[in-house]
Amino acid sequence: MSTFSTRRQFLAQMGAAAAAGAVLPTGPWLDAAQGEAPERSSRVIIARDDALAGGSVDEHGELLRKLLDASMQRLSGAQDAAAAWRRWFKPTDRVGIKVNTLGHTTQPAVVDAVVAGLRQADVPAENIIIWDRFDSELDKAGFKLNRSASGVKCYGTDAEEVGSGYQSNVETSGEIGSCYSRIIAEQIDALISVPVLKDHSLAGVSLGMKNFYGAIHNPNKYHDRNCDPYVVDVVSHRFVRPRWRLTVCDATRGQCHGGPMKNPGYAWPFGGLIIGTDFVAVDAVGADLLDGERKNRGLKLLADDKRPTNHIATAGARGLGVADLSRIERIEL
Amino acid sequence: MDGLDNLFSAPTRRDVLRWGVACGAAGALCPTGVGIALGQDVAAPNTLPGLRLKGLARHEAMFWEKLDENKVKCVLCPRECEVADVERGYCGVRENHEGKYQTLVYGALCSANVDPIEKKPLFHYLPGTTAFSVATAGCNIECKFCQNWQISQFRPEQVESVLVEPERLIATAQARSAPTIAYTYSEPVIFYEYVHDTAALARQQGIGSVMISNGYIQEKPLRELCRHLTGVKVDFKAFSEKFYEETCAGKLKPVLATLETLKDIGIWFELVILLIPTLNDSPDEIKQMSEWIVQHLGPDVPMHFTRFHPTYRINNLPSTPVGTLERARQIALDAGVRYAYAGNVPTHPGENTYCHQCKVPLIRRTGFRVESNRIRDGKCPDCATPIPGVWSAEQALAFKPREKAAAPQTAGQPS
Ligand code: SF4
Repeated sequence: MSTFSTRRQFLAQMGAAAAAGAVLPTGPWLDAAQGEAPERSSRVIIARDDALAGGSVDEHGELLRKLLDASMQRLSGAQDAAAAWRRWFKPTDRVGIKVNTLGHTTQPAVVDAVVAGLRQADVPAENIIIWDRFDSELDKAGFKLNRSASGVKCYGTDAEEVGSGYQSNVETSGEIGSCYSRIIAEQIDALISVPVLKDHSLAGVSLGMKNFYGAIHNPNKYHDRNCDPYVVDVVSHRFVRPRWRLTVCDATRGQCHGGPMKNPGYAWPFGGLIIGTDFVAVDAVGADLLDGERKNRGLKLLADDKRPTNHIATAGARGLGVADLSRIERIEL
Repeated sequence: MDGLDNLFSAPTRRDVLRWGVACGAAGALCPTGVGIALGQDVAAPNTLPGLRLKGLARHEAMFWEKLDENKVKCVLCPRECEVADVERGYCGVRENHEGKYQTLVYGALCSANVDPIEKKPLFHYLPGTTAFSVATAGCNIECKFCQNWQISQFRPEQVESVLVEPERLIATAQARSAPTIAYTYSEPVIFYEYVHDTAALARQQGIGSVMISNGYIQEKPLRELCRHLTGVKVDFKAFSEKFYEETCAGKLKPVLATLETLKDIGIWFELVILLIPTLNDSPDEIKQMSEWIVQHLGPDVPMHFTRFHPTYRINNLPSTPVGTLERARQIALDAGVRYAYAGNVPTHPGENTYCHQCKVPLIRRTGFRVESNRIRDGKCPDCATPIPGVWSAEQALAFKPREKAAAPQTAGQPS
């Protein structure tokens, strides 16, 4: 089992892994405990399978788990999937899985695969919360609500009977002033963002970072200037950045235009997942893929469609991750 | 929730005492006004805490245009939000539902109080009477000093509300003997449809309607609304674009345009300027603002200078010193404004109304309480000078907007 009891031990193992030519794992919880942003690998895995592009996503649970586990191994350099998951998650973690249930929504089967991975790292089911803004939207997106003490939890910020709702104090981060969901503020200490590969009418794309607009009470206030730098301000906050360990972008059913609402005319059965620990790099790759598909279909590039994805560049410029595509190692499985 | 539910049922004797319904009938003393120090129109005491999800009160919105791909453009306020399907505008209370724009707060009242009209503050509008004051969640700007941010900066599903149809609101105001309904606390522009329908119906039933607003509205909806309103108070935040942009997430020019439109319409309106130390209280800025008001709106529009208290996102500045209010009032008077007030300083002489001609005190106030009112038939009893304002319910209800002037006026050049 690959847990690190001290920072020195962790760094020593990282050095050994580097020497062996393996991908450098990161240990975000060590930094998160100190309230710092974790060091992240700018490696992004694109895991696709033709079979995943057809039929219902629900039918492909096993395939999704395999793709995700293989991606985690590739990210971590670990010998087996369980070890890979343990590089980022430990049994005492309380993990929040932030899904996107507005418009074109995250597929529950993808989240099931993420949960299966966490379970391999011995994270107790009771320590896992699948969440978004509203119970009703989670329900509509096909998630099974669970507010009980046993099993994987699933509820919205509006589920006040389980102590969520929004915090009563305003948190300032850059230009934003918002009350954060009590789920992210008080109930978890590790985060996984599971957005959908889709465009957005204002921000250009709605990927891992934009997903956290669903963590604040007033996202409507931050749509000007293509949501830039507001998206970055939201995720820079101590409730998000130091806790965010992994992005698993659901690209099973992408959408290259008409988002964030579901727009079947622009459905893009990509049949894959986009995975990484550098959340800026994952978003940069996702935006690039969307633009590529738009180009294939004769649509304007996002920037030419008056919705440049400036927030990704801003996140890179602020050092939250790597936005420069030439510096991102893109690996296709 | 009980508080709001009770408020909209028939008043009991206890309610009468609690809400000060007798204020209007007595014509002077209002128990709800005693001892309240805040000059802002703060939603209290029955603003409901907590963020419980409630259903949305959907209703077709007014003033929007259809765009391509199921998008809409809202043309109610100067933001002109372009909103994709399932998304909301900046104010958070208007949503695109499959290419149709909807308000989500039609009658979803999150705050309701019987207030002295002086609390709005309107000093030249039926002094000593009450206004049945209501609000929904939401606002189309974001003032970092908002006293009511717990309703204005939240979405409707995040505050506790009760559904009150226009007829029920009017009946409740009547039962509480309030001659006026005030749409206030948050921002009435964003619950426009409800204000519009209620004000139109209320007028027919002998109740006036005043809008307590930031003035962030487009001309067409403003003119339409003023057909039904009987008075307006505008929060004039500052006289600089910088302040509006940095502190309010808004713009000054549209507010200036609104003020000129109100002048053109002829409706009674007053202005409140909340002075925040170091941000908008410089003598130069107040002088420029006062001069602009005299030049563009005339000398009879009252200016209320009120105190800031640290709150919401501005907690690092002190409360406004009384001396700042006094100085601002004097600057305005020197610039030719006839009725300038130092608000929110109980017992201060700057809270009283003086005849601009012979300078005798006409209305004496202590906080929101009217101690005496010597105005007779809208005139000074000593020198017979007409005092601008709305002095009787009949006068309020008789208001008719002037037709639009042929050539629109242009806004001045703020700093
Ligand atoms: S009223 Fe609301 S939706 Fe309409 S333009 Fe203003 S902020 Fe936008």
